[in-house]
Amino acid sequence: MESANTLCPGRKCKGGVLAHLERLEAQTNISNRKSEEPTVRKKESSLRTKIRELQQQRDKLRAEVKQWRARVKEPPAKEDPSRTVISEQEVLEREWRNVEAILEAYRFTGLSGKLTSRGVCMCISTAFEGNLLDSYFVDLVIEKPLRIHHHSVPVFIPLEKIAAAHLQTDVQRFLFSLWEYLNAYSGRKYQADQLESDFCDVLTGPLQRNALCNLLSFTYKVEQGCQTFSFSARLLYEDPTAALPTNVTVTRPELDSGLTEPLRPFWAVFFTSGLEAMMRLFLAEF
Amino acid sequence: MDSETRELRALEAEVAALQRECRMLQNAGEKASGAWKSFQNISQSDSEEWESLKDLRSRLEHLRSEHSFLSKLTGFNIRNYSKMEDIVNTEETEKDTKKVLQKHRLSGNCNMVTFQLEFEVLETETKEKKSSIITDLSIIMEPTEYSELSEFASRAEEKRDLLMFFRSLHFFVEWCEYRENTFKHFKEKYPDTVYLLEGTCSHCMEIRSTRQPGFELVIVWKIQIDEEGMVFPKLDLLTKVPERALGLDKNRVIETAPLSFRSLLGVLGIEAALDSLIRLFSGDNN
Repeated sequence: MESANTLCPGRKCKGGVLAHLERLEAQTNISNRKSEEPTVRKKESSLRTKIRELQQQRDKLRAEVKQWRARVKEPPAKEDPSRTVISEQEVLEREWRNVEAILEAYRFTGLSGKLTSRGVCMCISTAFEGNLLDSYFVDLVIEKPLRIHHHSVPVFIPLEKIAAAHLQTDVQRFLFSLWEYLNAYSGRKYQADQLESDFCDVLTGPLQRNALCNLLSFTYKVEQGCQTFSFSARLLYEDPTAALPTNVTVTRPELDSGLTEPLRPFWAVFFTSGLEAMMRLFLAEF
Repeated sequence: MDSETRELRALEAEVAALQRECRMLQNAGEKASGAWKSFQNISQSDSEEWESLKDLRSRLEHLRSEHSFLSKLTGFNIRNYSKMEDIVNTEETEKDTKKVLQKHRLSGNCNMVTFQLEFEVLETETKEKKSSIITDLSIIMEPTEYSELSEFASRAEEKRDLLMFFRSLHFFVEWCEYRENTFKHFKEKYPDTVYLLEGTCSHCMEIRSTRQPGFELVIVWKIQIDEEGMVFPKLDLLTKVPERALGLDKNRVIETAPLSFRSLLGVLGIEAALDSLIRLFSGDNN
């Protein structure tokens, strides 16, 4: 009521219609003011609701993004047919590498080879007591009759003899027989080389050997105190398929030139161990 | 701007960003699955990948036939092989020396004998030369009934002579086959006289007299491998006669039989010597 009075200061409170109208006017003003508040409240709650809605949407999106991230990282599990195509290739490649490695590993058996357009090129590997040595090859043409196209076998190995005996009737026997000759030669050569290098301070002259390395001859010295004794050794390997000698002779050449006294120590050892062990015994047991 | 409005703006921005991210990930995911799908389509039709697979298959077949050929030719069937390499770092070596330690694993069979090998190869490379040495060798062989084989295996391990192992194995198996075939041949030829108590794989053959029961000869045929890996047969004769007969044997034929058998072997060879012995005991001799 005060507001009505303040709103219309000029008017006197008249009773009657005018006053009633004034009172109504005043009431409307009040109710107007009252209705403004709920709108404000409505505005406020709608803001809150919007916030809440956005929050929900944000959480939902966060979860979706997480899902998509996980999905893109791993390959789709549903695509089975394409996977089998790829893994078949992998399987074949792995198998190919496996067989290729096995073929390479054959060199450890002594006999390996590769198929050629005409036949097979065999590679013969040699070794002596754990030392892997040279390889030789024999290129075979598979025809009737079987023949050797070319090879790297040294000329003093009886290749023609071995081929004549076995090549046409039993190729496996031919290969193993050839391998025995080559392996033994390779072992003897290796031992002779080692003797030259490891005992060079003891040898008093060059090591003499034949091409097949089955006849070795050398002189060496042994020092005892202030005296030096020189010896002459001769090794014969009668069996060309063996890398150990069949005949060992050690003599003292400065004794009577007509008489050479062969020393015969430790014969058993000579025939079971290599040249190096033999030399060490020669020098030790004097 | 009040706090709620600020919160609202922030949420709107976040939601927009998340929506963008979702769209991007969705695209990426679709691209990936699209790629799988298109590959599937490509591989099912004529294309480079399909051609290379066919090519791979034919190359693998070629390799496999090479392996089969080599296996028949050498008698060694290598079924598994793997290798590992390690560079050896030693402070003592000079700068120019390169050392590589290879570890190999190899398994397969030679006829009825299976082998499993593990060995190490040390490769040393200097300016002047390159050398490969087997530094460790371990051999497992089966079947273990061949007692000669286990002794031979430990000797080969000691000497680290891998190639000699294979060579001796080849000849051993060859001799075993020959012994089996010979026994089988005699059993078929003289079924009433020849008895193989442990089957054709045994090392004994019994000859029983059909006319005089109680008289028996046993041929013991062992296959030995010596220190150098040489394989050779060793045959012995054992006699089983009733005591009465021993008493009647004035010429001591039975006592000297084993020795006579040895000389017989030297003169006639294995097959003829066995044949003549069996004829002595069987009913049909003249």
